[in-house]
Amino acid sequence: MINLVIVAHGDLGDALIRATEMIAGPSEGLFAVSLMPGESPEGFGDKLAAALRPIEGQETILLIDLFGGTPYNVAARQVLKENVECLTGVNLPMLLELVMARDNAASLAALAESMAQKGQDSIRNLGPMLRGREATSQRMSA
Amino acid sequence: MSVIEEFGLVRIDDRLIHGQVIAVWCKHQPFSRIVILDDGVAADPFMQEVLRLAAPPGLQVEVFSIAEGIKVLSQDTPARRTTMVLLKSPLAAQRLYDGGLKYNALNIGGIGHAPGRKNIFKNISASAEEIAILKELMNHGVKITLLTVPGEKSQAFSDLAGRLRD
Repeated sequence: MINLVIVAHGDLGDALIRATEMIAGPSEGLFAVSLMPGESPEGFGDKLAAALRPIEGQETILLIDLFGGTPYNVAARQVLKENVECLTGVNLPMLLELVMARDNAASLAALAESMAQKGQDSIRNLGPMLRGREATSQRMSA
Repeated sequence: MSVIEEFGLVRIDDRLIHGQVIAVWCKHQPFSRIVILDDGVAADPFMQEVLRLAAPPGLQVEVFSIAEGIKVLSQDTPARRTTMVLLKSPLAAQRLYDGGLKYNALNIGGIGHAPGRKNIFKNISASAEEIAILKELMNHGVKITLLTVPGEKSQAFSDLAGRLRD
């Protein structure tokens, strides 16, 4: 099974896991490494290394919250490892899709690429999509 | 002798370039380049790539060891006003100053917890040695301000110094 590790600020990683499990049920091989307020990048780097040690060598996707933030600065180097992919901008749709379909992918690299797309596709601006439709749908239902 | 122009900002932040914060500074003040002076990053081309990749567009990112940086920045004056000098620690700031690269103002934007460090303001911690270094810089006339991003509450180090043991 592909491991999923969320690398994020504060409580975000744990909260994303709770929300994912609320929808998809309990999941294995899914955990968060959290950057806490006031934590130094070096200390966070040590924490990340310790968290990844038990799954060293296994297929893993790191889901980083913020491109350019400290979790990114600290975790990006992991992408140099074999069997590791890193995605930034983690969101709930990506995580749900990963939890449900992570083991069906052709390759880890292909999975990472499709998840980057999935994350972006899930972002919609509802105003232009829905405003002005109200009158139409009322007419249609009449 | 000509007066050497001040840098746009000399900043201690152990997170170096971390997107949002740098973006806010750039809205507040025009910057054309960030110069990171850190021996570790200077010896780590991959880390330099990671930092460059996420830097705001149009901003040049250069990385030197502290010794190299002192040489390069002493000679080179054109873009000083729009240069942000980024350092990881008070020790780096002291090495820069004592190495001849003087500055009148120093911003402390972030220093994380580590063994031996205690919190002095918001997300800023310092060890006794680091407090001593900052006091020394202050006594040289460097105006030290603790501030993560413009617009937030700031703290003058001089108002804090009397209460801090070194």
